[in-house]
Amino acid sequence: MDKKQKKTMLIIFGVIAVILLLGIFLTSGSSAGEEESVNVIMRDAVLHNVHKVNFFGIEINPGLAAGFLVTAILTVAAIIIRIFVIPKFTLVPGRFQSVLELLVGYFDNLSKTNSPHLNKIMGGYIFAAGVYIFTGTMLELFGIQVITTTGASVSLPAPLADINGALMMGCTSYLFIMSGGIAANGFRGVINTLKEYSLPISMSFRLFGALLSGALVTELVYYYSHLSVVVPVLVGIMFTCLHALIQAYVLTMLVSLFYGEVSEPPKPKEKKIKAPKAKKAKELTV
Amino acid sequence: MSNLPLNINFTQIFLHLLNFLILFAILYFLLYKPVKNFMEKREKTYRDMDDEARDNLKASEEKKAQYDTKLSEAEAEISQMKSKSRQEIEKSKETQLQAAKDEAERIVREAKAEANREKERILSDAQSEISEMVTDATEKLALKATAGEAFDQFLDAVDLAEKRGSDYEQ
Repeated sequence: MDKKQKKTMLIIFGVIAVILLLGIFLTSGSSAGEEESVNVIMRDAVLHNVHKVNFFGIEINPGLAAGFLVTAILTVAAIIIRIFVIPKFTLVPGRFQSVLELLVGYFDNLSKTNSPHLNKIMGGYIFAAGVYIFTGTMLELFGIQVITTTGASVSLPAPLADINGALMMGCTSYLFIMSGGIAANGFRGVINTLKEYSLPISMSFRLFGALLSGALVTELVYYYSHLSVVVPVLVGIMFTCLHALIQAYVLTMLVSLFYGEVSEPPKPKEKKIKAPKAKKAKELTV
Repeated sequence: MSNLPLNINFTQIFLHLLNFLILFAILYFLLYKPVKNFMEKREKTYRDMDDEARDNLKASEEKKAQYDTKLSEAEAEISQMKSKSRQEIEKSKETQLQAAKDEAERIVREAKAEANREKERILSDAQSEISEMVTDATEKLALKATAGEAFDQFLDAVDLAEKRGSDYEQ
């Protein structure tokens, strides 16, 4: 890019920025967001008791709708990759193949490292969970709008910012860990898993708290128009991208670690060497 | 159900679960498993190539060892043949030398025998000549000279004959 092109790009960028700023300040008085108080918005972000989305006659939270959308997007992507990309895989990988292999290899390696005794399906589970958490959280950035049952428009939150989604993920992961314990050690595996009874709650609320906090801060920032310049870029990166990565990493790491722990075969007991009795020892010394 | 704290709703939890299970199945069968299978297949391919290369290396090392053994055997055989041929040459040389010696001895022996025969012949010739001369001298003495002269002539003739005989012997 030469100097002239750089100059042109800068001018275009400046014009777009000025137009956006003008748009923000001119429309701030008639903003739909200010029809609701910030308290209502915050409360709804936590409890999801105001805005509902109609799903074939069932009223669902926007988080669940986001979950369906994530599944749809990932399904389409997986089908396209399966049909058009995977059959063209080469021994020396290209860029996209490298990314896919890196992703699958990472979760496969994580499962094999943390659970060397039983890891056949665990890699697939943590792969799916990691991809779901990451993609679902990143969906927040796009601000996809849905119409609620009240006729209002809301942007889709992360699926796991919904307490029901977070509970599902925590409890499913716990049950999955227990299934590994049963498969490897039978009843002993169940006992080993039940020892960590707080795990589903801790995993669920860790996810819920982390993703909700990001959503709340983002909502708060967007609520006030004078904060919606530049600040959302930092907030979006801090609370969305980093949370997407960190929470996906934390949950998959925890699941693989606990799965490996409960599926570990019991160690054989060491035989105790009986100490010679005092009398016998005395006789021997005499 | 809706009275649970934090607006927890079991219907929605099950819907979330159903959604996630579908996603898990799709991602597992369409993405994770095929990619993993491909990676394992590629790993196997490279491992096979590595094994094949190792086998080839081992086979070539074995062949090299075989060739080295054969080479050392051939060298040993060559040196053995060399020593054998050297021995044969020595033997042949000795035989030829012995034959030459025998031939030389035979020639010397034959020469000696020939010389002896010649000597014998000369001696006999000299004796017969002496006897003829003696006879001649005796006849002459008896016819022409005195007894004293005849006796001296006789002695001279004898000395001459002896002298000749000794010359022949030498």
